[in-house]
Amino acid sequence: MDCKTACVLMSAAVDGEISFTEEQDFLLHLSQCKRCREEFDDAKKTKMIIKERIIRFRAPQALITTIMQLTDFNTRETEETLLYE
Amino acid sequence: MWAIIRIHLEPGRFQIMDKPAPTHQTNIPTKKEALPREERQKQLEFQNEAVVHLHSLYNYALHITMNPDDAEDLVQETYLKAYRFFNSFERGTNCKAWLFKILKNNYINRFRKNSKEPGKVDYDLIKDFYHSIKDTRRDSSEADTDYFYSLLHEEVYQALLSLPEEFREVIQLCDIEGFTYEEIANMVDSPIGTVRSRLYRGRKLLRAQLEGYAKKYGLNTDNDQ
Repeated sequence: MDCKTACVLMSAAVDGEISFTEEQDFLLHLSQCKRCREEFDDAKKTKMIIKERIIRFRAPQALITTIMQLTDFNTRETEETLLYE
Repeated sequence: MWAIIRIHLEPGRFQIMDKPAPTHQTNIPTKKEALPREERQKQLEFQNEAVVHLHSLYNYALHITMNPDDAEDLVQETYLKAYRFFNSFERGTNCKAWLFKILKNNYINRFRKNSKEPGKVDYDLIKDFYHSIKDTRRDSSEADTDYFYSLLHEEVYQALLSLPEEFREVIQLCDIEGFTYEEIANMVDSPIGTVRSRLYRGRKLLRAQLEGYAKKYGLNTDNDQ
């Protein structure tokens, strides 16, 4: 595998969207190419930092109540079971 | 009570999108005991399949609208539409992906109707908004000395916002929401190969932006740590 092919497979390798055979070839290339290895590490870190640092907000209570009323009328009890457990 | 919301359907890959647009709001029963058994079963299934994704949907709506009121409206419209056409949802497939697709179509439709251009954002507004509602958690026990881990939500968020929409979108869907490439390809109406290359290029751009922030704040950006 050359660097160009490794770049095509880079994101798929980070995300586990790569076939077993492709992964074997990809890892073999990384073991021989420092530049692609560093790029792969950077891509993995970038994914991790996004996952860890982007704050998740809770939906406002008024919205939760409205949506819960769509599907149930014991709102509080069901809401706690569905959204906070 | 429910606000009357006009819902338009767009063509798409999900079955729901192929239905003709309804002409009036579905009447939602107001008393639990008055519900037919089938309706009650539909409610229960909808709760377990769809309502559980409410927070994710709200976060996605916030990211694309940059406005809490618009995000609420968008999520509400999405659930109303999803509930009405829940019978069209293909059981066994990813309901979260189905809901995101509906939300995205609603969003596009809304922009078209308002003649606005998606992607043009007011950065000052976003900054104020995020400062007003941001979580103040800071991980002071962070042991990793890599500058990457010293960056906080604001820097990472601004870096993400700075990306062209086509890259930001796939990163959000993949890294924040955890969708598969196939699901993302369906949502953005592009082949899987395009999703893959956008993720690759998007992450490279993001990395460059984050390095820029790190240098600005005097953090060590050497790789050899």
